Amino acid sequence: MTAAVPLEAVLVVAGALFCIGLFGALSRRNLVGVLMGIELMLNAVNINLVAFWRYLEPRFISGQTFAIFIICVAAAEAAVGLAMVIAIYRNWLTVNADAVDSLRG
Amino acid sequence: MATVIQIIFGLIAALIVGAAVMVVTVRNVIHAALWLIACFFGVGALYLLLEAEFLAVVQVLVYVGAISILILFAIMLTRQVTGEGVRQLVGGWRLWLTAAISALLFAVAIVPTVISHSWNVPAPPAPPGTPEPLAGVAELGRAFVYEFLLQFQVAGVLLTVALIGAIVIAFEERARRRRVLTLAEEHELRKRLAHPPPVEAPAGEPAPAPRATPISEGEVQQ
Amino acid sequence: MYDIVNGLINTTFGWNWPGWVIALISHLLVTTLLFAIAPFQMLFLTYYERRAIARMQDRIGPNRVGPAGLLQPIADGVKMFTKEDIVPAAADRWVHFLAPCVVVAPTMLMFAVLPWGPGMVPVDLNVGLLFFFAISSISAVGLLMAGLASSNKFALLGAMRAVAQMVSYEIPAVLSLLAVVMLTGTLSIVQLIEAQAGLFISSADVPGVPDLGLGWFIFTPVGLLAFIVFFIAALAEGERTPFDIPEADSEIVAGYMTEYSGMKFGLFYLAQYVLNFLLCAIAAVIFFGGWQGPGVGWLYDRAISPANPDGNWVFNLLAGFLGVFYLLAKTYAFFFVMVWLRGAFPRLRVDQLMDFGWKFLIPLTLVNIVSAAIWVALLRWGPEQGITFTQNWTPILRWGVAFAVTLAVNIVAYIALARIFAASQAEQGRIDLDEYRDTLTATLR
Repeated sequence: MTAAVPLEAVLVVAGALFCIGLFGALSRRNLVGVLMGIELMLNAVNINLVAFWRYLEPRFISGQTFAIFIICVAAAEAAVGLAMVIAIYRNWLTVNADAVDSLRG
Repeated sequence: MATVIQIIFGLIAALIVGAAVMVVTVRNVIHAALWLIACFFGVGALYLLLEAEFLAVVQVLVYVGAISILILFAIMLTRQVTGEGVRQLVGGWRLWLTAAISALLFAVAIVPTVISHSWNVPAPPAPPGTPEPLAGVAELGRAFVYEFLLQFQVAGVLLTVALIGAIVIAFEERARRRRVLTLAEEHELRKRLAHPPPVEAPAGEPAPAPRATPISEGEVQQ
Repeated sequence: MYDIVNGLINTTFGWNWPGWVIALISHLLVTTLLFAIAPFQMLFLTYYERRAIARMQDRIGPNRVGPAGLLQPIADGVKMFTKEDIVPAAADRWVHFLAPCVVVAPTMLMFAVLPWGPGMVPVDLNVGLLFFFAISSISAVGLLMAGLASSNKFALLGAMRAVAQMVSYEIPAVLSLLAVVMLTGTLSIVQLIEAQAGLFISSADVPGVPDLGLGWFIFTPVGLLAFIVFFIAALAEGERTPFDIPEADSEIVAGYMTEYSGMKFGLFYLAQYVLNFLLCAIAAVIFFGGWQGPGVGWLYDRAISPANPDGNWVFNLLAGFLGVFYLLAKTYAFFFVMVWLRGAFPRLRVDQLMDFGWKFLIPLTLVNIVSAAIWVALLRWGPEQGITFTQNWTPILRWGVAFAVTLAVNIVAYIALARIFAASQAEQGRIDLDEYRDTLTATLR
């Protein structure tokens, strides 16, 4: 793997995934869609960490450990975020991020 | 062998990027969630290609088995917006602005940095074909209980807090919930209201006399 | 398989084919075999279940097609194939079409790590056990797709029930297996089986125990509790009675399968029975030694294996047959227990199911993990890990002390948790009843 595919290729894929996730998180109107974009971005970061581990420091486990911590945080974020989406839906009867604006002056 | 790996990498990269594009552009939110699952699978396959088997399995277990299910559940509970025809993306100049930001970030910041930076990739071991010494699952477990013990416990606390927080946020008060009684419950309650049962059976009550008729099925079920 | 194909082509025929061709051929052979075996298991299990449940209900069961009704499943299959395939007009076509595939594919993939006999495993992954459960969790996505795409409220309800049940019961299943993984220190299913040699005491724990292939984990307190929890969780994952809430036909028609007909329905059916078979098989493998049994180890020592390349192939055949026989006997015995439960118990309610999983099984498995840690500390650890008081004990004394301590911990935990759970359920019932009374008084007034 390391001989056949250069590190840059993996990083470019991860970068593309990150930018697509960013676009999704910024442009989706549905709150669930926003969360999906954030999940994509977290996955891109994970790809980066694993690639760095494999190419640069294959003897040390830190890259994989960090990736697992990020998966942990992603799981927590998804649980809390989706709970908030459900609570918002219950109060406003919408999951459109633009419609939830009761803090606007 | 190298060509095969390159082809596989190309396919996986195409799957990841293509599925991600579908996630952010497709109209139906359910379809977006399904494309998201495909993207997670692609990332898991990439981990396998990078020889991180444990992480690949964890990716499938956590992302495909839990997070995407959670997302699908949330979509189900907040339905009515999934229909076609509802605009799913922000409109007008905001859409173009976000697209421009993402594209510029990719084309101007990420790609030139990644390409121009010298990564100092260590040389592969001398004879090609010998397996590299890779850290495996055992090292991962050891790292969690020695080197990263504090972080590991903080992650555990974080997950617990997130669990409790999610329950608290999404919890619906019992009093606000609309309660639908089943027929059997309603019948039982009417009976109880009509003849309120004694609070406690009197202690010295004699045993009921043996019955002449066989006990019917309905009584057995009670 | 690689060794056999290699020996046949390169040694017997002397063709000297390169290694990757032989690997390709052997993998193709194994996959073909497995894809042939899986539907056959499903056919046999449906027949087996119908006959067994009929006996319990004092009926005869299918007995017309073929000898003793053995060809009945094939007749059913033909009926399934020739039925019209109906897609509801309001359905989401592609998702509706893909859902059965997404449900069936993981069950087939799970065969990849299941060892059938000594040296007879398609792939020996070093994270095999985790792979098995990670893959099994994918079929939940398929169920959810079926429910969402059908645009039918019964299908949606069934899918929600099924997925909630599968996701919640995956946790006790994986946690109970974690205890066993702690005992052996490996996630590879092959090594888990190899650790179960011995005679009621695993020879990995006490060296010198005669190897009759009976050192199963079920004979340790940790393994026993883990098995009970795992089997209950497997019932829930396989949607068997008393946990068949997702397809409770008296409440929600057929759950997520409501809008499916013909071959797609058949695929759901196939996935369900293959999943049941696999869950029974993995329970047999992890707690009952899989192919371990009297004689298999002795036979395999004389066979061709990586450790012993100049053995006799007759012993390969004999050890393979005996091992597969033991595995299938254990698997079918567990499936019989599943059928038995179906004949004996009524269905649970959804909230009872969730309460039982989250408030009883998960705490129980957590306590079990603690006793697994005690077991490992008493048996394996020495002065270098900080356990000094056991270093002069004989292995059998260590084993006995570990057995007694873990048994005590598990029994105390079980009784305490059962009492707490029963009390909380009674309290819950009382609150519910008060609430009904209030609502009804309000409505009657």
